[in-house]
Amino acid sequence: MIEREDEELRQQFATLRREESAGASAFRDTLVAARARTRLSPRRRLGLAAAALALVTLVVILTVGKRHRSAIDLAGVRVHAPTDFLLQLPGAELLRTVPRLGRVSFDRRSL
Amino acid sequence: MSSPAEALEVELERVHPAAFGWALACCGGDRAAAEDTLQASYLKVLDGRARFDGRASFRTWFFAVVRRTAAEQRRRNALWRLWPLSWLGTTADGRPDPAASLAHSETTRRLLAALAGLPRRQREVLYLVFYQDLSIGEAAEVAGISLGTARTHYERGKAALKKRLHGERE
Repeated sequence: MIEREDEELRQQFATLRREESAGASAFRDTLVAARARTRLSPRRRLGLAAAALALVTLVVILTVGKRHRSAIDLAGVRVHAPTDFLLQLPGAELLRTVPRLGRVSFDRRSL
Repeated sequence: MSSPAEALEVELERVHPAAFGWALACCGGDRAAAEDTLQASYLKVLDGRARFDGRASFRTWFFAVVRRTAAEQRRRNALWRLWPLSWLGTTADGRPDPAASLAHSETTRRLLAALAGLPRRQREVLYLVFYQDLSIGEAAEVAGISLGTARTHYERGKAALKKRLHGERE
């Protein structure tokens, strides 16, 4: 029984082999195609081209971005709002100036 | 007196029909992938990247080269498909060629469908033994496994294949 089943399997595989070998390309054709294969296949060439393009784009973006960027020193920027006067304190200049001895630097009457 | 390269070509020509069948089996019936694998394997042998050391028969050794090359192509194709620009190129998808499937007889189609449901190792060992008429020992060498393991894959695979074939018939 087992031998018969094995033989049946063998027959089926033999049929498969016959059908597949009928569609096989000739050895010489395969060899010629193998030799014609360059070290860089079209797919690999495409990959390298895309990588190179990505690199060039990145360099261009970085270079152009740097050139157009103006240096802004935020420490030196003073913003004047129309309501600034509300925040001014009487005698505020006293806090910003160093008084000198023997000299009146502000008007006492304003106090 | 022929050069070593010519001698290799003669050997390759001798195993070509069987090697094509084996490449087809390694590539899941995908004809384009099988031809690609076979070409890459021939290049490896002729370039000297794969060297025959005479420990096994030429056919057994070359089948192992084809098997390894097919695995490399599979990995490469899987990686390529992960790449965002993969749609620009064509890759073998590892599925049977529809035109080739149509050319098969009903019996063969059933056999291939049953084989496709088996684990890869079992399928490989059965292919090598029944399709290529190799011994289990030679099949073990091609698959790179021990004789005991190959025997287990053979027995389990054969039982599973018969079950699938008979189950389908009922």
